[in-house]
Amino acid sequence: MPAAVFLAALITALATGLGAIPFAFIRGLSPRPVAFANAIAAGLMLGASLGLLAEGVRHDPARTFIGAAGGVAFILLTQWLLGEREVQFANLSGQGARRILLLVIVMTVHSFAEGVAVGVSFGGGEALAIAITVALAIHNIPEGLAITAVMRPRGVSLVACALWSVFSSLPQPLTAVPAFLLVERVRTALPYGLGFAAGAMVYMVLIELLPEAYHAAEGRSIATLVGFTTVAMLLFQQYL
Amino acid sequence: MTGAMHPGTLLILSLAAALAAGPGSLLGSRPWMASQGVGWATATAAGFMLGIGYVLLSAGQAMAPAATLLGAAVGLGLMRVADGVPGAPRTSSDVARVSAPPPTDPGAIRGNALHSAAEGLAIGAAAAAAASLAGFLLLTFAIHNVSEGAVLGALLKARSWRDGPAALVAIFARSTQPLMAVMTLLVLRAAPGLLPWCLGGAFGALFYLIVAELLPQSYRHAGRTGIALVVSLAAGMVALMGGTP
Repeated sequence: MPAAVFLAALITALATGLGAIPFAFIRGLSPRPVAFANAIAAGLMLGASLGLLAEGVRHDPARTFIGAAGGVAFILLTQWLLGEREVQFANLSGQGARRILLLVIVMTVHSFAEGVAVGVSFGGGEALAIAITVALAIHNIPEGLAITAVMRPRGVSLVACALWSVFSSLPQPLTAVPAFLLVERVRTALPYGLGFAAGAMVYMVLIELLPEAYHAAEGRSIATLVGFTTVAMLLFQQYL
Repeated sequence: MTGAMHPGTLLILSLAAALAAGPGSLLGSRPWMASQGVGWATATAAGFMLGIGYVLLSAGQAMAPAATLLGAAVGLGLMRVADGVPGAPRTSSDVARVSAPPPTDPGAIRGNALHSAAEGLAIGAAAAAAASLAGFLLLTFAIHNVSEGAVLGALLKARSWRDGPAALVAIFARSTQPLMAVMTLLVLRAAPGLLPWCLGGAFGALFYLIVAELLPQSYRHAGRTGIALVVSLAAGMVALMGGTP
């Protein structure tokens, strides 16, 4: 089973590289398609989070919500730590370079939580695990898109963009296996883990995906996309 | 969860929530309307609604998952259709982005009324599920109605309406909310088999409202970190208090 967990998390990480593909055909991407991609990713993550919460609450509601608070706190803490640091990026310089590196760092750090989500979801059953893996793999594509959209116009090669994108998601396979082993060995940790993953994902949706989406598209279009994607994800989890 | 709310109680409480649109309309043309306080209040309301939506969805899924999720899709669709009516309330960022001409006075009032009717559906479904949930939801809608009243009030004031008539019209436009809430509750008492559909529909409608209106409004007034935190805490608190269905 740990091998399957590692493989699933590796697939989600590799999916980030797919975000570079559109830039093989175009030099830039208008903000609106990126906003819609973020909205779809938000819907998938919210649907996945509701599935995680439901599974956690079935075991222990209080522990699940304590875990969710921990997930929110984890993202807050990493954000705060990153916000305090001055960073440099060897091959590029200036404000743009700082922005690129910050973007890669933020995505790399928050993908720790996504790896935990994949790992603990395997403790909640096969259907939940597949749903979370698919959701996070699709969610990672716009992340790769975002990284490439910033790097490519500054002359970084397409392959390098794809590799940086995959790099930003590499913590996923690294954290997924320990998270899975923890919830397998210590069953009482499962609701904490499920809640942690759900809290972290909901908070990421609120702090990153939705605000980014609102920048380039009207609230109604975003709400329609997020809403129907969430419902589709819930149906997918229910009847998979 | 507690039992269903009595229709009479629902009518009184939801009318009180609709009245909040009156004072809201007076805020519409005041510069301090665009204060951070509005952002925090709206974010809190969004969090409460998200938590309530989660509890309603869980309750429906425990009864009939397919009907609940299809009901959620219908609820989303209804809200989208209600929002597409010319004159439906629109956030200022959307107004800036969309080049459509501003609605006429009757159009704005009609759009606002249709929008509140869809919200009434969610309140009625919550009242059928649990009185405590409906009470919480009505409190959040009272906050929401202040900002809805402000949007309509700003539009009417720009067309030289006086404060009194503008407030009355704002309340009138929101009056479809209590009416639809009570009607939904009565229908559900007569046909309890529809409850999972309505619980799903309520989740869909609340979810749409949160993502289409409340969150953009909140982000505009305050930083995204604080707003995300308030929404998460409020939603988590309500979801935990709602317990397992």
